[in-house]
Amino acid sequence: MSLEPDVVTVNVTSEIDAAEARQEARRLALRHGFTTVRAHGLATAVSELAMNLVLHTDRGGLIRLTAQDATGAAVIELVAEDNGPGIPDLALAMEDGFSTRGGLGCGLPGTRRLVDTFAITSRVGEGTRIVCLVRRP
Amino acid sequence: MHGVGQILLQNRASVLDAWLARLRDTAPGAHPASLQLLKLELGTLVEKLTGYFLTDDEDGAGAGPAFKSVEEQAATTSAACARDGLTPMETATLILSLKSIAGELLDRETSAKATELYRMRTALDAVVDRLALVTFAAFVETREEIIKRQGRALLDLATPALPIWRHIILMPLVGIIDTQRARQVMEWLLEALSREEARIAILDVTGVPLIDSRVALHLTKTVEAARLLGSQVIVTGISPDAAQTLVKLDVDLSNMITRGSLRSGLAEAFRLLGQHSKGPIETMI
Ligand SMILES: Nc1ncnc2c1ncn2[C@@H]1O[C@H](COP(=O)(O)OP(=O)(O)O)[C@@H](O)[C@H]1O
Ligand SMILES: [Mg+2]
Repeated sequence: MSLEPDVVTVNVTSEIDAAEARQEARRLALRHGFTTVRAHGLATAVSELAMNLVLHTDRGGLIRLTAQDATGAAVIELVAEDNGPGIPDLALAMEDGFSTRGGLGCGLPGTRRLVDTFAITSRVGEGTRIVCLVRRP
Repeated sequence: MHGVGQILLQNRASVLDAWLARLRDTAPGAHPASLQLLKLELGTLVEKLTGYFLTDDEDGAGAGPAFKSVEEQAATTSAACARDGLTPMETATLILSLKSIAGELLDRETSAKATELYRMRTALDAVVDRLALVTFAAFVETREEIIKRQGRALLDLATPALPIWRHIILMPLVGIIDTQRARQVMEWLLEALSREEARIAILDVTGVPLIDSRVALHLTKTVEAARLLGSQVIVTGISPDAAQTLVKLDVDLSNMITRGSLRSGLAEAFRLLGQHSKGPIETMI
C-alpha cells in the first residue's frame, strides 16, 4: 500500500521560519507513525539546518520534507537548500566544534548523527544542498 | 479631472452618507464609537480625494505629489479599519465601493457627453483601484505592527523570575527560545540573582518545545555568566526525548547541573545550599 507523498515546504529566512519548519517536521513524523523521540530528533535536525540557513546565508533558503508511506514502513526525506555563499571546506564544516560564527559547531555533524542517511553538496558562490533520510521500520 | 472634482465637491455629503451605509453593511458588528471614528476618517478621505481631482488637470490617475496626501489618508483610514477588526477583504471592499457610489453620482449629475463621462469614470476607477492597493498594503503593515507588539508583550510576560526560597529563584521558560528571548532570559536571570541575592537559579525548560545547539549555547552562556556572579544554575525539565537528541547532537552540557524534574532540581538546590529540608518543605519536595 503506497500512498501519495506527504510534502511540506517552508521558506526559511528568519528564526520564526525555522521554528515553523521544525514544528511541521515533528507533526509530519508523528503523522507517519514515527516515535516521539524520532520525531524530536527529526525536528532538531530541521532546526539545525534551518538555523544554518538563517545564520550562514544572506537570503535564507528552503526546507522541504517529504514523507512516503510503504507497507509497514515509512521514510521522510529532508532537504535544505540555499543559493548562499557555499561551504569552502566540507570536511572541516562536518567536524564537531567547527563554526565560523561562534556557534557550537555541532549542527552539521549532529544532524548527520540524528538521521539515517546524510548527503551534503556545496559550491562556493552557488549554494549548499543537504539531503537526509529518516526511516521507520 | 476637474469635472470629477466639481461633482464630488457639490455632493460630498451624499457620497459620505452612501459610504457610511456601506460601512454599516460591511461591518455590522462594529461598535458605534468605532463607526464614529471611521466616519471621520472616511470624511477626510472624501475631502482629500475631492481636492485631488480639483487640482489634477490631467487624466493621469493617481500620480504626482497631490495624490500623496490622498494615499496617506487612505493608509490612515485602513489602519483605523485594521484596529477595529475589519478584515483586509472588508476594508478593500469598503474602499472599492466608492467606485459604484461615485460612479452612479457621475452618471446622474453630469450633462457631459458619453465620451467625457467615460473618461471621468475611467479616471475615478483608476484612482480608487490604486487606493484599494494602498489600503491593503497599509492594512498589512498595521496588522504586522500589532502582531509585533503582541509578541513583545508576550515576551515580557513569559519569563518571570520567582524568588521561591531564600537564596533560590525559579525561572520557568515557556515557548520558543529565539535569540532575542535567550538574551532576555540571561539578562533577567542575572538581574534577579543579584536583586534577590540568590545563590541558585533553577531554569525550568519543561515548557520549551525543542533545544537545539543554539538554545544549548545560550543556556551554557547563561550558566557561565551566573557563575561569574557566584551563583549556580540548575536546569530542569529536559524531556527524555530531548536528552537523547542532545546526546546525538553532542552538545556539551557538562558544565551545568541538570535534573529531570523541577522536584529533583529543587532537592538539588537545597542540597547545594547545605540546608536539610525541614518542616513544611519536607512535604514539598
Ligand atoms: N547553509 C550554509 N551555507 C554556508 N555555510 C554553512 C551553511 N551551513 C553551515 N555552514 C558553515 O558550516 C559551519 C558549521 O555549521 P554547523 O555545524 O551548523 O555549526 P554552527 O552553525 O554552530 O556554526 C558554519 O559555521 C558555517 O561556516
Ligand atoms: Mg548550525
